[in-house]
Amino acid sequence: MSVSGWEQLLFIVAVTAVGAPLLGRYLAAVFRDGSVSGHSDVPGYSAPGDRVFLPVERLVYRTLGVDPEKSWTWRAYALAVLTFGLVSTLLLYVILRLQGVLPGNPTHAPGMPPLLSFNTAISFITGTNWQAYEGETQASYLADTAGLVVAQFTAAGVGLAVALAVVRGIAGKARTVGNFWRDLTRSLVRVFVPLSIIGALVMVSQGAVQNLSGFRTATTLAGGTQKIPGGLVASMEAIKLLGTNGGSYYGAGGAHPFENPTGFTNMFDLLFVIVLPVAIIFMFGRLIGRPRQAYAIIAVMAIIFLGHTVVSMQAELHGNHLLSASVSQAASNVNPGGNMEGKETRFGPESSALMTVGTMGTTAGATDSALDSYTPVGGTGSFVGILLGEVSPGGDGGGLYSILVLALLAVFVAGLMVGRTPEFLGKKIRATQMKLVLAYVLAIPVTVLILGSISLVIPAGTRSILNPGLHGLTEVTYAFASVANNNGSAFAGLAANTPWYDTTLGLTMLIGRFAPIVLGLAIAGSLAGARVHARTRATLDTAGPTFVAFLLGVIVIVGGLIYFPMLILGPIGERIIG
Amino acid sequence: MRPAIFGRHLAASLVMLLVVTVVLGFGYPLVVTGLSQLFFRQQANGSLVYRDGKLAGSALLGQEFTDSKGNPLPQYFQPRPSAAGAGYDGSSSGATNLGPTNPLLIGFVAGVNTVGLNGLPSATNPFATTADPACVPTDPKGNPVTSPAPGQRYAKAGDGGYVCDPNTIPERAIAYRAFNGLAANASVPADAVTASGPGLDPDISVQNALDQAPRVARARHLPVQQVIALVHRDTQGREWGFLSEPTVNVLEINLALDGLT
Repeated sequence: MSVSGWEQLLFIVAVTAVGAPLLGRYLAAVFRDGSVSGHSDVPGYSAPGDRVFLPVERLVYRTLGVDPEKSWTWRAYALAVLTFGLVSTLLLYVILRLQGVLPGNPTHAPGMPPLLSFNTAISFITGTNWQAYEGETQASYLADTAGLVVAQFTAAGVGLAVALAVVRGIAGKARTVGNFWRDLTRSLVRVFVPLSIIGALVMVSQGAVQNLSGFRTATTLAGGTQKIPGGLVASMEAIKLLGTNGGSYYGAGGAHPFENPTGFTNMFDLLFVIVLPVAIIFMFGRLIGRPRQAYAIIAVMAIIFLGHTVVSMQAELHGNHLLSASVSQAASNVNPGGNMEGKETRFGPESSALMTVGTMGTTAGATDSALDSYTPVGGTGSFVGILLGEVSPGGDGGGLYSILVLALLAVFVAGLMVGRTPEFLGKKIRATQMKLVLAYVLAIPVTVLILGSISLVIPAGTRSILNPGLHGLTEVTYAFASVANNNGSAFAGLAANTPWYDTTLGLTMLIGRFAPIVLGLAIAGSLAGARVHARTRATLDTAGPTFVAFLLGVIVIVGGLIYFPMLILGPIGERIIG
Repeated sequence: MRPAIFGRHLAASLVMLLVVTVVLGFGYPLVVTGLSQLFFRQQANGSLVYRDGKLAGSALLGQEFTDSKGNPLPQYFQPRPSAAGAGYDGSSSGATNLGPTNPLLIGFVAGVNTVGLNGLPSATNPFATTADPACVPTDPKGNPVTSPAPGQRYAKAGDGGYVCDPNTIPERAIAYRAFNGLAANASVPADAVTASGPGLDPDISVQNALDQAPRVARARHLPVQQVIALVHRDTQGREWGFLSEPTVNVLEINLALDGLT
């Protein structure tokens, strides 16, 4: 990597290292809850910002007709999440179908066809933000803001809420896991809305657009005409990133100069994705009163993040070795060099790879460059972030509950090796939990591999492939892996708006979102109220370097064993043959 | 008990959706729009550039500098190739999405993706021309042929060689050298022969601008040194010293050129 490449990576690490603990402290103050820490927020307990936020929250609870102090069982919590997901999906579906006749449509987008609406509605409710539609022409301003942006907020809020419930179950003393409406309301009012407003304004100040003007027509210098798009871009961009959603206003996503105008916004956008998921881990450490546990988890996340990001940055800077030497890919102060196909001059290959691959370990999958044109090794970097289960640092909340489940698997394997009943945070892990953990770990790969394989043998699947050979196989398997992990980034050469892909990818997103949520809550519920054993000298330390290495090994082996054949046939084969 | 609980969740879900749709779907974007228009009006509206009172484009979006037939105008700095619609179409942003081994991108590279006239893998490129060993042939309608087969008809040039697909990187490099009067073995900056992610990249690399400067100077009857000085003046350095690559904004430098002559 070049000097400025290292500097940008260090900048990201340094800002996260300073910002995430501070934000985590704030989150812990907001979400401190009697069932985990022994504190109670009523009466007498206060969180920062109560004077502003509490009246708003009380108004919401009153409107909803719910009692925010009532804590529920995991079943009631899961049922609320599913009901809210179902109702939200239906409403979004209706908005997309009817956008052509609804107001707020200066670009005259027609109503979306049924299967595309089905796919898009699920995509945004699940936080996947797979976009089979064309942003500029197929979504109206109203559908963008009242439909898609709302879904981006609620998907983020639901993720954080579920994570809180899982933490209460795994670490808390009560048999209940919290109140969904309260968690969702507090997430939105105190975290996602205020931070999004600030982030959106920073982006606008750099050149991201935020207007209601539709297309303007310019007369170019050469005498032609050019349509200049408008739209409520920055407000969507902010929650797209903060909520680890990834769905962009324009077709080209975060590569579009109106969304991501400068080198500064490129790094700001990446930070806006990863700081909150890391802060949520710090919050976890504070809530359970074991900050070391949070450091251990963050160490695992950081190692995975740096691994796939550095490899990808290096590969993209090195460029495409199949191009003849007469194309200058050597980076210098006057030439960004490297693999520039699908990349912006202002970002160059390294900053592009840092941003794009850096968000692949979250469920955002926000890109600032065309993944399909990455070198095989560079593209594998982003694939790896997804295939390891999105835990570097993962989505808002999703990253936390995913890695907690993997940690349970790791203590179980470690327990088997030394012949002791495994324990995590003082609670014994038994067959009940392990069955649920295995179902959790297998749900996504089984869906990806089965539906991906079918797509590679039936004409309805293969017709959509743009690039020949092994790269085409990567396009298909990447699509399923991406949506199953609610990432939503694409090797965009796949023509995905077909009945087969709209339907199967839609179903994959549903499974990829709600199977982990329900199973995660079930695991939490099965541990809720379990006896907490005192630590003895024989207790496996789940916060030390040994456990960090062990958890890393479990993550790599689980992800590797399941997906390695696919990687061999896809990008690795492409690199060897090329 | 289950139906009752479900009913309560259902009612609360509906009300919650109504609340978030009003507050987040309308309130939030309008608040951001209002504040943006108040404090950052120029940026929020697309960094628009006017010439003689008429909208000429956006400083953040590249545009084409071609004549009515689509040929590049030599008196203007040329932007990167574009995959947005027919080229720099602001209503259709997009990339080529061509993979790194696709012949449509890198041409037929001997021993990697080369195919013989019989349609079987081949160690050499049977379509190679003197100018372009990686030539991808076209059919008589001008469409590139990446899967040759017996019986396929090809377009031929006057010298009997194949007519190559002009959009591969090797062909673009050849055209770039010819257009700018560079030597046949001159090295071409990568950004000059590749398309960007949205196809709307407003910038080119400094090397790309310097390579084009002599041609622009000739077309405008200006001293080369004056155009090169303009390139250096309009070079936008790395933000904060490390956050981006040095670039030249094509619209801005071309506006400056029009202002000179």
